[in-house]
Order: sequence, then structure tokens, then C-alpha cells
Amino acid sequence: MREDLSRREFVRRASALGLSLPVMSALFAACNRDKPDPVLEDPERELGSLERELAIYIWSDYVAPDTIPNFEREFGVKVTMDFYDSNEEMLAKLQAGARGYDIVVPSTYIVEVLIATNLALPVHHRYLTSWRNLSSVFLNRGFDPGNRYTVPWLWGVTGFAYRRDKVPDPPPSWEIFLDPRYRGKMTQMDDGRDVLGSWLRYHGHSLNSINPSELAVAERDAIAAKKNLKAYISAPVKGQLISGDVWVAQLWNGDAEQARMEQPELGYVVPKEGCTIWLDSLVMPRGAPHPRAAHEFMNYILRPDVEAAISTATGYGTPNHEAIRLIEHPVPYPTGEEMARLEYQRDLGRDTATWDQLWTEIKSA
Amino acid sequence: MIFLVAFFLVPLLIMFAYSAMPRGEYGGVERGFTLESYQRFFVPIYLTILVRTFVVSMACTVICLVLGYPVAYAITRSGRWKNLLLFLVVLPFWTSFLVRTFAMIFLMRDTGLINTWLLKLGVINEPLTILYTPFSVMVGLVYGFLPFMILPIYASLEKLDNSLLEAAEVLGARPAARFRQVTLPLSLPGVVAGCLLVFIPALGSFLTSDLLGGAKELMIGNLVQNQFAAARNWPFGSAASFILMALVLAAVIIYLRMRDTAPAGT
Amino acid sequence: MTRRLPRWLIGLVLAVYLFLHLPILVLVAFSFNASKFSVEWTGFSLEWYRRLLERDDILHGLRASLIVGLVATVIATLLGTLIALGIARHRFRGRRVLEALIYVPIVTPEIVTGISLLILYVLIGFPLGLATITIAHIAFCISFVVVVVLARIEGMDRSLEEASLILGADEITTFWKVTVPQLWPGILSGALLAFTMSFDDFVITSFVAGPGSSTLPLVVYSMVRRNIEPSINAISTLILVGTTVLIYVADRLGRERAH
Repeated sequence: MREDLSRREFVRRASALGLSLPVMSALFAACNRDKPDPVLEDPERELGSLERELAIYIWSDYVAPDTIPNFEREFGVKVTMDFYDSNEEMLAKLQAGARGYDIVVPSTYIVEVLIATNLALPVHHRYLTSWRNLSSVFLNRGFDPGNRYTVPWLWGVTGFAYRRDKVPDPPPSWEIFLDPRYRGKMTQMDDGRDVLGSWLRYHGHSLNSINPSELAVAERDAIAAKKNLKAYISAPVKGQLISGDVWVAQLWNGDAEQARMEQPELGYVVPKEGCTIWLDSLVMPRGAPHPRAAHEFMNYILRPDVEAAISTATGYGTPNHEAIRLIEHPVPYPTGEEMARLEYQRDLGRDTATWDQLWTEIKSA
Repeated sequence: MIFLVAFFLVPLLIMFAYSAMPRGEYGGVERGFTLESYQRFFVPIYLTILVRTFVVSMACTVICLVLGYPVAYAITRSGRWKNLLLFLVVLPFWTSFLVRTFAMIFLMRDTGLINTWLLKLGVINEPLTILYTPFSVMVGLVYGFLPFMILPIYASLEKLDNSLLEAAEVLGARPAARFRQVTLPLSLPGVVAGCLLVFIPALGSFLTSDLLGGAKELMIGNLVQNQFAAARNWPFGSAASFILMALVLAAVIIYLRMRDTAPAGT
Repeated sequence: MTRRLPRWLIGLVLAVYLFLHLPILVLVAFSFNASKFSVEWTGFSLEWYRRLLERDDILHGLRASLIVGLVATVIATLLGTLIALGIARHRFRGRRVLEALIYVPIVTPEIVTGISLLILYVLIGFPLGLATITIAHIAFCISFVVVVVLARIEGMDRSLEEASLILGADEITTFWKVTVPQLWPGILSGALLAFTMSFDDFVITSFVAGPGSSTLPLVVYSMVRRNIEPSINAISTLILVGTTVLIYVADRLGRERAH
């Protein structure tokens, strides 16, 4: 008897829940807890006085050791740093409603998404007195025309690194990944945008292409290359480049430079067909509790000495032309000819699903 | 009670709602109702991923059982070293997962420690490809889940009632028979618990397959992870999760039914 | 119980322990390595231990992880044990549903749990911080404790408890002096598993952590993009040594008290 009762009870409650789902879903989607703030949203307005705290959400090891302590001392602001390991995770967290961070550091196309989903607040340029230190090469990019929301931080390219002693004369081209001589000794990055992007460029197409036939060709090559790959690895491949397990690795130039300091037999190639150039920027997300402190920090890192220290410590290029003069071996800006081959990743909007489908197919091949 | 229901059930319902909503252009969801995410799942490519995940998780569970049961048994028989041995089972896991996994990579890679020693000892002439194979993934999975098998078995084996075993010995049963007819049945709840605590979370694992498998294959954990991250397709990720969860919960409920209707072991 | 275990069994068990601890030995060794890449041995150095003093992020992360881990473990173990007892001993409406529900956190992929909990917190306006992390950890740890303790209860004989009650002890005394000691291996196993999962959790924690409340795994995982500095190996080694000492001391004290 009891069993029957509890089963019926269960069914009744379950159906009640089921009916309430559409109601709840409407609720959740509609829920927008962000209060509009006219002061923050208008970049011409003045911000309040300097707060005592600052919350930065950033990649690990992305500043020099003394960057933050010096800032804290000079401005009397206490800085908390929290870390994420991928752009998308930071994005998902902000989209799910997390607030409280004053600064986040998105890469290129993630900025577009932040702007489109109203998660970025405009920069009040009146506080960025050191803005002129930035080189025009990195200003006014497609993902944020006029730099309304972003302060350029560090830049890099995604070509490939190789062991000079194992691969003496590599072709300056993505075709190396199709070469069976190096089977099992090569890696590409574990990122659909970077892998498909490389094969799109190989055929002279844009790495933001949404053209089905272009994508089909790129997918075919990616699968062909996969046979020669040891693995899909991103940054951690540095260790195996150093040890010689991997001879050719698609990798960011700054990381390759780091590895080269440990293993001199490393070279780097920007393929002739072109590759990704990326730019990480500082953005103030919605809900930032300490906007004035955020701006003082953004201005602080525009100082040549501060930026130079960051660039040297991280191995990445600085978009700050005054800072370059202070660096012993700076990463040179791409020449005009090189810039023609380099391309920024843009957000793909609805076609993100198409690319994801292709990446799933590549992984399942 | 209410707290529990809230924190178990409500997030689940949120996700269930999301799985039936259209995908937002930049991630997240939009208002509406659609079952396209569920429809999308039922194609060979995703079903293969699901099946592969089940097979791998089952293999991992069996290996953990074979390796873990003897360890749990030995711990119960180790007198004053009991606590230390128990503790040594979990101690490795109070270090960081990533560093442990990178240590395993150091051991298993082509120029790694294992290959170096095998070459030195002349056992092989060329380095073995251990890393980035299904073998290395299984090693990593078994490694990560062993405590989840050992501890529950230990918990139900531990000195429940020696008198039964002593009685069996006095009555002349040999060790193997004693084990089979007394110890094994007593430990069965622990074995089942261990298998569930290995199999079910293994289904959702993704990092081990990426780091030790070279990210060349997808488990369903990878698929779900991707949907919330790079693909920004929360509804599809939620739908895939729900299909997985539905399958597992159905199996669990069937098991619970069987267990309750079967006569009690003691 | 002085019966000897068969030799093959001892061998197998030793092999398993070696298997479990081999990567740990590697990890510890690299904490003394001169190079910042844990790739090859380039020389002995205590640099990374010294560096720990400078790395506030690592030290704060450890502190956060310990607080969350200990609180979550204690509460999850307490609640989990009570729930297990409730499920095993009482028949109430929806009992089987509750038992099935217990498995939900175990089967849900971590990213789903993480995002959905975050959405829940945002909906009810709960500020993100150590508290949100702890609650999330309690939620999934309870499940593991319940499953382990339930398995223990299933093998337990109620006659001892019944005897105690018949002999005149009240329920509370019976609970503490008879039930709990019998349950103890289950409770201990559950607690160990809970702490282990909480201490190393990354995915769920990354979503429900607030500004300033990064736990150690969050700090470590975010280093992947660049390089996991051996300071992490150093702190891991210190944790290993520290807990081993603690357990040894606790074990000795416990045994002395028993005499």
C-alpha cells in the first residue's frame, strides 16, 4: 500500500515540476540583475574617488613580479588577483552572472562577445593619460573600433616552433604538418579555431571563414595532418619541445621564446601563408565595484617601465612603443609585409556551432 | 532537508530548462522552447562518443576492482598499520591533479623515465610509444579512481564480524572457500558502492583523456565541456549531459529496485 | 589475526602502492630541480621553496583550499552519515527517490554542476566567495559519503544495537557507543574521499569562486597556459610531509589514549 502511495505521489510531484519548467525557464532567461549605471556607461562622465581595492581576473603569470606590489604601494590600493585558464571559462562565468571583478583580460574575439552581450563597460579615456605610449599598429582593431572598451595589453602570433637539430630546414609553411617524415613528432594546438584556422590559411582563405567549401577543404587537411600528429597540445607542449619528444609544434611565439631560453635549439616560423595574430586587452566588466581603481591600474600599466617589465617577464610583445625602447631584446612589431599575412580572429557568431561540429568530426576521425 | 533538495534539484532543473531552450548567439540561452538540442544528439558521431565513454568507464571500473579489492582486503588484515595504509591510499591525491598528471607524462613519454630505463637495461632498442595511447589514458583513469574503489570496499570489509570467519575456520573450511563464502558476500555492498563511485564519475571525466590521450579522441565529458566553453552552445551541452544522466539514473534505479526486492544477505 | 597473507597478495598490494606513489616521487624530485621546466634534471636547488614565500597567490590558495576542505568535509560527513542512516533505517515516502537523487551530483558533469550552481547563486543574490565554494563542495561530497556509509550499514548487524537498548541504554548513548564505532570505517572512508575531492576540485570551484577566493587548484590550473612553476611541486611536497606528520602524531596519540 505504502509503495503505491509513494509512487503516485512521486508522479504527481514530478508532473508539477515538469509543468513549472517553462515558467522557470522564462524566469531565468528574463532575469537580469544588472542595474544600469549611467556614470559608468557614459565614458565622458567622471568617476568617483579612488577606491581602496581592486579585483583583477587574469591569466596566471601574466604580470611581472613587482607590477602589482608597486601599484599597491603607490596608489594605496589592495589588489586581489584571481585566475582563469581559458577565455571561454571566464566568458561563461560572466554570462552566468558572476560579478565583482574590476578587470578581465580577454583575447581578441572574446572582446567582441563581451561587447555584444553587454558585459563590457566603456573606458573613460580621461583617466588614461599615458595612452599616447601605445603604437597605432595595435589600436583601433576590428574587434573594438576606437578602443571604446579595451586597453591593449600584450600581443603574439601563432605560428610553429621547431627543433633546429631535428628538423634542419623546415618549409616556412603549414605543409610541414602533412610531411610523413615527422610522423608522431608533431603537435597542433588543442583548439578548433587555431587548427582549422591554420588549414584555412594554408589554402589562402581567411581564418574567420564561414564558407562551407573552404571549411570542408580545411577539415580534410586537418584530418590528414592528424595522422602525423603525436597529440593536440597547447601551451604544455613546451616541456616536450625542450626534451625532444616533439620536433614541430604549433605554438604562440612568446611560449616558444620561453622554451628557447631553456633549449637553444629551438626556432620559430611564421608560415608564409599566414597565421593568427592575437591581442589580449584589459576590459572593465559590468558590475565592476571599483571603477576608478581599475582605470588607475590601466593607466599605470601604460607606463613604459611597467609595460617593459611585463613584456620581459612574460616573453610576449608589448603594444607600447615607448616600452620597447627599454627592452633589451624586444619582440619586433610585424612589418607591413608580415601584417598582410597575419589575421586577427573574429567572433563567428552563429557559425560557432558549425566550426564546433567540424572540430568534433576532426577529433572523432 | 530543504537545503539538500534545493542544492541538488534546483541546479538540475535550471540545466534541464536550458537544454530545451534555443542557443543564444554569443552563448547562454534565449527565451523559447525547442528540442533541437536533443534531436541533434542522436546521430552516429555523438552516439559513438557516448558508447566509447561507457566502454572506457566500464574497463576502468573492472581494472580498479581487480587492483583495489586486494588492497582493501590487505588493509583490513594489517593490524596496527591499518590507518597508515589507508591514509597512503589517498595521500597522493592531496597534491595537484595537474602536477601528478605531468609527472605521469614525464614517466611515460618517449624520452621519459620508463623508456630511458628500459633502453639502458637493454630490454628494448627503441623507445616505446606509451604516451598518448588508449593505454596511457586507462593508466591515468585507473590511477585517479583507485581510492574510490579501495575505500568503500575497505569500509564494508573492515572487521565486521570475525566470528563468522573463525567459525568457518574451525569448521574446517579452507582459505579460498572461507573467502568465497564468507568474506566476499559480506564485502558485496562495498564492491557495488566502489563500482558505482568509479563508473559514474568516470563517465564525466575529460581532463585525463585530454592530457594523457593527446586530446585525439572525445569522451562525452570533453563534448560537454566544449559546448559550454569554445562552442558556446549551452543547450546542447545541457542536453548531452541530461541524456547521460538519464541513462545512468535509470540504471541506478533499476539496481535499487533489484536490491530492495531481493532477500537480505544476512 | 596473525594469519599470514599469501605472498602473491602482498606483492600485488605493494605494486599498487608503488604505482600510486611513483608519480608523487617524481613530483617531489622536481621540487628540488634547478630548471623552471619540470622536464629534465638540471641540478639541485631550493629556489622553489624560497619562491613560495613570495608567491602570495599560492599561499592564499592553500589557505582557501584548507578552509573549504575542512569545513566541507566535516559538514558533508555529518550530514551524509545521518542521511545514510535515515535511508537505511526508516521507510518514508519518496525514500527511493531520495536515494536515486543522491547519485545526481555524482553523475552530473562538473561543468554543468558548476554553471548551474553559479546561476542559482546569482538568482538568489548570494555573493560569491569562500562560502559559495564550501556549499558547492558540501553538495557533491555528501553524495559520496552517503554511498560509502550506506554500503557499510548494509553489512552491519543490528543485534548489537538492539542488545544495548534492551540492556537499558538510551538511544543517544546507543548511537554514540555502539552505532558510530561500528560505522566508523565507513565514516572515515567517506570523510577521506570527501576531503580528497574537495581539495583537488577545479571545474566546479572555478565557477562558484568569487573575487579573492581562489583555491589552490584554481591557481595551479591557471598556470597551465604558461608553465607550472616548481613552486607548486614545492608546496605539494610540503603538504605531503605536513599531513604525514600530522597523521602520525594523531595516530600515536590515539593509540596512547587507547591504553
